[in-house]
Amino acid sequence: MIRGHFLAAFLAAVGFSLAPLQARALELAFEQDTSLPIVYLNVALKAGYVTDPSGQEGITNFMGEMLLRGTRNRSKAELDLALDQIGARLSVETRAESLIFRGAVLSSQLEPFLALLEEILVSPSLPEKEIEKLRSEIVSGILEELGNDSTLASRRFTRFLFQDHPYGKSTLGTLSDVRKLTRSRILVHYDRLMRDRAMLVVGSGDAQASRIEAWARKLASLRPNGGEAAIPLVSVPETPPGRRLQIVDKPDRTQTQINIGQIGLLMTDPRYFAFHLGNYAFGGGSFTSRLMTEIRVKRGWSYGASSHCRFGLRPRLCQIHLFPASKDTAAALRLTLQMVDELARDGITEEEFEFAKRSLINSSGFMYDTSAKRVENTLLERTLNLPDGFMKSYAGRLEKVSRKDVNQALRELLKPESLTVSVLATAEKLKAPLAEAAGLPLERVQVIPYDREPSRIDRGTSPPAPDRY
Amino acid sequence: MNLPPRCVALAAACLTLCACASTAPPSRETFPLIGNTQVHRYSLENGLRLLVVEDHSSPTFAYHTFFRVGSRDEIPGKTGLAHLFEHMMFKGTARYKEGEFDRILEQAGAEGENAFTSRDYTAYVQELPKSQLDLIAKLEADRMVNLVINEESFKTEVQVVQNERRFRTENNPDGTLYQELFATAFTRHPYRWPVIGSQQDLDSMSAKDAQEFYRTWYSPNHATLVIIGDVLADDAYRIVRKHYGSIAAQPDPVRKLPVEPTQTSPRVREMRLNIQVDKILLGFHVPGILSEEIPVSDVLSAVLTGGNSSRLHRALVDAGIASSVYAYDLEDRDPSLFIIGVALQEGRKPAQALAVIDRELRRLADAQVQEEELQRAKNRLNFAFYDGLNGNSEKANFLGRYEATAGDFRIGLRHMQRIPQVKADELREVARKYLTKSNRTLLTGVRK
Repeated sequence: MIRGHFLAAFLAAVGFSLAPLQARALELAFEQDTSLPIVYLNVALKAGYVTDPSGQEGITNFMGEMLLRGTRNRSKAELDLALDQIGARLSVETRAESLIFRGAVLSSQLEPFLALLEEILVSPSLPEKEIEKLRSEIVSGILEELGNDSTLASRRFTRFLFQDHPYGKSTLGTLSDVRKLTRSRILVHYDRLMRDRAMLVVGSGDAQASRIEAWARKLASLRPNGGEAAIPLVSVPETPPGRRLQIVDKPDRTQTQINIGQIGLLMTDPRYFAFHLGNYAFGGGSFTSRLMTEIRVKRGWSYGASSHCRFGLRPRLCQIHLFPASKDTAAALRLTLQMVDELARDGITEEEFEFAKRSLINSSGFMYDTSAKRVENTLLERTLNLPDGFMKSYAGRLEKVSRKDVNQALRELLKPESLTVSVLATAEKLKAPLAEAAGLPLERVQVIPYDREPSRIDRGTSPPAPDRY
Repeated sequence: MNLPPRCVALAAACLTLCACASTAPPSRETFPLIGNTQVHRYSLENGLRLLVVEDHSSPTFAYHTFFRVGSRDEIPGKTGLAHLFEHMMFKGTARYKEGEFDRILEQAGAEGENAFTSRDYTAYVQELPKSQLDLIAKLEADRMVNLVINEESFKTEVQVVQNERRFRTENNPDGTLYQELFATAFTRHPYRWPVIGSQQDLDSMSAKDAQEFYRTWYSPNHATLVIIGDVLADDAYRIVRKHYGSIAAQPDPVRKLPVEPTQTSPRVREMRLNIQVDKILLGFHVPGILSEEIPVSDVLSAVLTGGNSSRLHRALVDAGIASSVYAYDLEDRDPSLFIIGVALQEGRKPAQALAVIDRELRRLADAQVQEEELQRAKNRLNFAFYDGLNGNSEKANFLGRYEATAGDFRIGLRHMQRIPQVKADELREVARKYLTKSNRTLLTGVRK
């Protein structure tokens, strides 16, 4: 018996289903779960920060936050009070290709919450005073990020990898763009994104699905029809040629942040499950993966060493992350790059394959064992245009993968010669050793100050462009 | 007789225990948790406590082990040992070589396999498919008694922890401030040193230190197992008894922790950090988790920073001084801190935020919170309580944490049941008593 299938029969037995209900063009899925007196409700727009127009980076997130700051009938203070009075939680999450309003409330307070949420989503007032206040908060948030090495390093790596492609943008935006956002631009962006065809209502909890459906139908009817044409798909990002190394120069670092990566693949790529399995064996979540064993267990170089991919409607990225002491950074980078070379060339061993396959299959039930996870799966499937039930199909799909498939996928997809390497470190001491570890001449190493963002049009082989702020 | 290594020195005690083992039906106590959910409590003769919650909503279960030892149980010169030892628990045992524990569990489909150390306790956590209860009980019982600690793997793990320390504090402004807050607020009690330990102490430790720590603290009478999910309570008990029943109890270490003297004047420390926006961290000494004032303190924190309509959010964030603010009572085993943290907006100075906080704390001490505002705070806490129990692991953490810090999970439930009854004048009294300048430690992080 395949233990990884242990949940499938169970889910069928309890009659769980997330079949979409059509309400005009809106998509809806709600799972009743009475185990706690709480309702979780997400309203997602299938458009995220990649839709930020040029010079307006951060506007999707800004617009989403602004919806919580006043309606035609209530000021921000009144809205805050109304939400807190019923003990509800409502926040905004901006992803590359979706904007999600995440709500949760005690089931006894569902009706006032639904009324408030509808008001927030369809009657925003975007008051100028609140725009200025939010601008100040977001600018401060971007500045605060500069103090967080891990977040900053990831952000700089993503920009360096994607250059001027929309996937290189950041959720919060850039300081210069956020400082220029105006009410009229925010309003235009709201009208562009908040369309019934772009809307998705997904939730779970102690409520009748019929009540949520009726509410969602009404919500969709209050917004204009259409929307797909207004939100074009981004272009396919291209892997920049040749290996590149960037040092994000920050003073006084005793520890560095190494990010290594390349353009990734789609979850619907026929090689996806084979690659997923190979990545698990290499560094994708196991405490006994190659990366963890070589970097942490054998050498004690880094507390964490992992590899993962991020997915979108277009291929996004696959990335390795480790954070060694400064003194070990060059050696850790050299070894990691060598390991990627070996992985692409030789693949994984039979033992690694069997272990990864059994581990992934046997734990796959945990991808959908709670209503909260099933809600997240639906959000992912619908926002990334995956087939319904994709997240539940892992065990069956992985079962069919052979070691030959894995090693072929690794060989075809990994590009060791074109890896993008970004290291947050104090450059003075590490520039030369890092260049040597990456196999690059010193003049090909870019050094950018940690508190300055490079221009999006910087192609990576010339000196950094003038500061954008 | 093939005894586990730690039983050799206490062979007589082990034999006594083995003689007591029987197949009699287990005796258990049962208590309500939430709704129809019940907690079944068992005790083994060797002192091991077991809590089981049956939840058949998915064919999985959470298996968490809480040892009642944390950084408070360390001694000067050995700071960080509790956490470092937590790392060592993933090394090999006499039966399973290094890496096999993780490997076997991952292959069995384990989810969220991890561990963490706090000031008061150390927890080992994972979830598994329902068929794997016997396996995890066998593995956890084995590493409770059969761990092999060699100098080479110990030294490598010290390097890993040094890197974790660099990550959490040395290269992290928030972590640095947090560490210094405790170092300044406490002068005698072990809460003054960081859970991760000092660089010097970590470098000077040896495998022998870890071995002694293991012998002292990792025994059934210092542990609570929490199993929640698709299990039958009595079956779970029998499996646990089968694997842990022969492990000997260890003597309780005799240790009198120093009592922290009452703080009588404000303490202030400014740190120059590699940051772009300034930060403030305040700590006020408050009683430990067994205090009847904890629910009042929880309501106070919700009045101050619970939601966007809370007092400090409005006075600091809406007013354009801060980009975020939070407040909470740490609810540690011993008297600890009520913390207020603020990240300032660009160009704003700590003094501006501090003036606002002082004003709002004076308001709390001078005037009663109105009923509507009080109810709002209670509503938020009520929601947060249920939201925090959404899942087997979440429930296990709630039960285990209270068992480890308060000695009984029912203390946590009692706190929650008390919140609706908290009165406005109690808030005022607690604010007057604890949120005072003389009881305050102020850390400011300013741009270098």
